[in-house]
Amino acid sequence: MSGEAARLEQPPSTVMRTPRNVDLEITSRCNLRCRYCYYYDNPAVEYRDLPTDEWLQFLDELGRCAVMNVTLQGGEPFIRKDLPLLLESIVRNRMRFSILSNGTLIDDEIAAFIASTGRCDYVQVSVDGSGPETHDACRGRGSFAGAIRGIRTLQRHGIPVAVRVTIHRHNVHDLENTARFLLEDLGLASFGTNSAGYLGSCRLNVDDVLLTTEERQLAMETLLRLSEKYEGRISAQAGPLAEARHWRRMVEARAQGAPPFSNGGRLTACGGPNSKIAVRADGMIIPCTMLAHMELGRINRDTLAEVWQHSPALNRFRQRHTIPLTEFDFCADCPYSPYCTGNCPGLAYTLTGEVDHPSPDACLRRFLEDGGTLVGAERVTSEKAEIACE
Amino acid sequence: MRQSDKPIANPVAVLREEFDDWAVLFNPDTADAVGINPVGVVVWKLMDGQHSLEEIVAKVGDRFADVPDAAAEDMTAFVDDLAERGFVGYELEGSGQ
Repeated sequence: MSGEAARLEQPPSTVMRTPRNVDLEITSRCNLRCRYCYYYDNPAVEYRDLPTDEWLQFLDELGRCAVMNVTLQGGEPFIRKDLPLLLESIVRNRMRFSILSNGTLIDDEIAAFIASTGRCDYVQVSVDGSGPETHDACRGRGSFAGAIRGIRTLQRHGIPVAVRVTIHRHNVHDLENTARFLLEDLGLASFGTNSAGYLGSCRLNVDDVLLTTEERQLAMETLLRLSEKYEGRISAQAGPLAEARHWRRMVEARAQGAPPFSNGGRLTACGGPNSKIAVRADGMIIPCTMLAHMELGRINRDTLAEVWQHSPALNRFRQRHTIPLTEFDFCADCPYSPYCTGNCPGLAYTLTGEVDHPSPDACLRRFLEDGGTLVGAERVTSEKAEIACE
Repeated sequence: MRQSDKPIANPVAVLREEFDDWAVLFNPDTADAVGINPVGVVVWKLMDGQHSLEEIVAKVGDRFADVPDAAAEDMTAFVDDLAERGFVGYELEGSGQ
């Protein structure tokens, strides 16, 4: 075995003994077909579901690995009739859970069951507008009413509800109404935002879905204003709001000749593979649901701890943060690179065909070259910003 | 009924041991988590309802070299804190439970 191969047989010292969080795509089925869905239309994925027993066996293994949290997603998790059995197993194996859903299949029976477990951190429901005109544009007729019905059902049972707004061309002009609807009418404590990205089905509907530079700028300005108005009740780990905050810091740092950010100048996004891992609906273990092509092993055939600690592909991926941006022609002569993290490796892969590459989608220089401007960048001094895809 | 002096680790709590012998204690019922050092890990594993705190302190002294005099006080505070946060309980003598 070469020195390089031997090195990749061992995890870096910063890696946990076992993953703390695991994302489980428990089904490849969904009752909706959203036009920007990151999950469907991925040629690397085999859309096939595992039987209940396979998931129960794997959940037992997660319990033995002392995993703390699992996130159930899909597809649409509530489409599985055996969901209560899976949740019982999660509870039995001393874990907590969250569920990512379109909300339309949530009824009183399953909500009561979830509440009874006492282990649910939240159910996240996608809401993309203040009404069916904007929400249903990409998600299908009747989906807004179903999502809101689902949220109200969860609220009635005391289950924490998280809402994610995915911004696209059909709702970017509705953000103010959306914030008012979610925070004032529905009474949510907060909601998160993102934007449609060049993944899955979105790649087939780019012109209809993806924000133009002007729309992206509009989304950033609107969300910054709303975030101030609603005093931090709007969050983002990626998308226009996260970019606006981080990019303003980058512009300010460059203008001041500030030293590089501690996570800048290298492919430091993201830190996920040091603490979490994911499983596809067909049982293949992958680093992240955004990197569905990177098959690391299969559940109930390979042991999770072995894959987690000794997979050469995973350990190589964990070294991604050491790659300097100066290695890439894409970043040549970029004055912002000392402050840039390279952003999401999943988007980098779908856009360039390479995981070890900065994501062109979240490139500040390109945004500015395309005519985008950052309102208020000159005022930024010490604002703490969320960094995309931490 | 009198409370036993032998602490019992909450069986629902999860001990996540890491490579450096430190660990995270996680209570899935409350989502509370606390980081504990290698001595804390040994103390946690000895809280089986069979050992008093004094016995646990003695066993830790046997296990580690150069245990400082203040260790007993620190361990007592550690167990008290865990008890307050629901990670540790005490059997009620005579309760049969």
